[in-house]
Amino acid sequence: MSIALQLLLMPLAAFLVGLAMVLMMRKVRASVERRIGPPWYQPLFDIYKLFAKDTQISHGVMHDVAIMMVLGGIICVVLFLPVPGMSGLSAKGDLITLLYLMMVPSLGMALGVGQTANPNGSIGIARALTAMAGYEIPFFICVAGAALHYGTTDLNQILTIQQHGGHLEHWGIVQMPLLAVAALFAVHAMLGKEPFEIYVAPAEIATGPMVEMSGKYLGTLFVMQCFQLFTVSVLYTTLFLGGGFSWFTLLLKAFAVVFISVLVTNVYPRYRTDDVLRWQWKWPTGIALLGLGMVMLQIGR
Amino acid sequence: MPDYPIYRDPPEQCRTPDAEERSLWGRTLERIADHCRARSLFVLHYCTGCGAIELPPSMTSRFDLERVGMQPMVTPRQADLLLITGYLSVKTLKRVILTYEQMQGPKYVMGFGSCTINGGMYWNSYATVKRLDQYLPVDMYIAGCMPRPEAIQQAFLQLMEKIDSGRAQNWKEYYRRYDHYLGEQQALFGEQFHTPTDVIGEARHYSLFGPETLGEHTAKLAKYDLYHPGQGAVDALEVKR
Repeated sequence: MSIALQLLLMPLAAFLVGLAMVLMMRKVRASVERRIGPPWYQPLFDIYKLFAKDTQISHGVMHDVAIMMVLGGIICVVLFLPVPGMSGLSAKGDLITLLYLMMVPSLGMALGVGQTANPNGSIGIARALTAMAGYEIPFFICVAGAALHYGTTDLNQILTIQQHGGHLEHWGIVQMPLLAVAALFAVHAMLGKEPFEIYVAPAEIATGPMVEMSGKYLGTLFVMQCFQLFTVSVLYTTLFLGGGFSWFTLLLKAFAVVFISVLVTNVYPRYRTDDVLRWQWKWPTGIALLGLGMVMLQIGR
Repeated sequence: MPDYPIYRDPPEQCRTPDAEERSLWGRTLERIADHCRARSLFVLHYCTGCGAIELPPSMTSRFDLERVGMQPMVTPRQADLLLITGYLSVKTLKRVILTYEQMQGPKYVMGFGSCTINGGMYWNSYATVKRLDQYLPVDMYIAGCMPRPEAIQQAFLQLMEKIDSGRAQNWKEYYRRYDHYLGEQQALFGEQFHTPTDVIGEARHYSLFGPETLGEHTAKLAKYDLYHPGQGAVDALEVKR
């Protein structure tokens, strides 16, 4: 498949899968609360409606640029993430590039929300960046451990190593279970779900960064959420669950990652910001450091 | 005939549709958009009165409004539908007007219970508002004191049908008849009343100007001169009309 076609198809596929993940999240939440939940077309209708709003409030140039930065950044990430049949730009950039690009949406949000000049938004962004410091440290330790274990940061090679030979014994989760567990915690915080949801906190700071986002801006953020769910779950699958031989196995694993996260979400209230940091720097970071030590022992042997 | 005026949906103004509206492509997109709007209402509650009690059973597992795509939202920027659940005091009406003006069109207002229709049991009170639709364009009223969740859902379904068929255009009346609404607001809050939202500017920007957008009441806004310093807001707008 030509690279130009891949660059078109990869974001499209990611968006569609992300829509399905959003739907699954809402359906699971409804089931936990013993409701029926939204119909299957609901995420799409929400986005179409938001983009079809007749009036629109922009708070300035930075607000407009930042929202494009959010969407553009997350689409870039998708292009660097190999999926079955399409490797996109993943040969040109590695895991480090991917992690670097994954920061862009958060920074874009910070810039844009700054210009909306809403105090709730500023508080939300401050909390979001603090929480980021919480989950990025364990996540980076996990990624570093995985890179050490595989001996490469090339995502295609990581996939090849895990899919080599049999099915299970080369998977990251079997080879380095502690890192996989720690990364799952970090991924959960990365998705911004309870109990690490303090920067959204609708009842407290009115959805924080999203407080001034109306119409198309909110629609863009909804689209971003689809991409983010896809990116995070597929990245976890690539690093620890052996990726997918086909789209079917890939989606099965990616949906499982989101499903675990959603199930945990629904039974928790939210931690305060300092508790988020304390928890993230104690448990995932501790487990990840242990896992890193085990990986280093394995390599040294 | 009663001697008091009967308020109905104001008649649509005759105007020349622009090319985009006339094209098949534009009309198709708008038709789909109307359907999506009807099936994806983001709700903002203004819970001052007892009507708020009836919303939790509507939202949660007993009746589950998410089945028809309704979700609670927490800021006016994100919301489509403003629920006024019960009586409004003069003081809270100011906040409701501020909230309403921050919402993005198409936006809808629903009045809950007899308090919003005619003052209900607070009719004799000096501090409450008798009729909501004097101050804001209301799309749907629910009668009752208070309406049961079944009645609320019935009203939601009717509103959805109205939106789906493209008839829920009341929000445009706020721009087209801004002078009328501002006059009613000034009668209640005093001549000095104004909101930080530039409704006239928005009406001009989105081509929602009507014959009653400007008038004697909006003329009183000129002295605040917030958005067009030095040139006199309303005069400048009138030239561009």
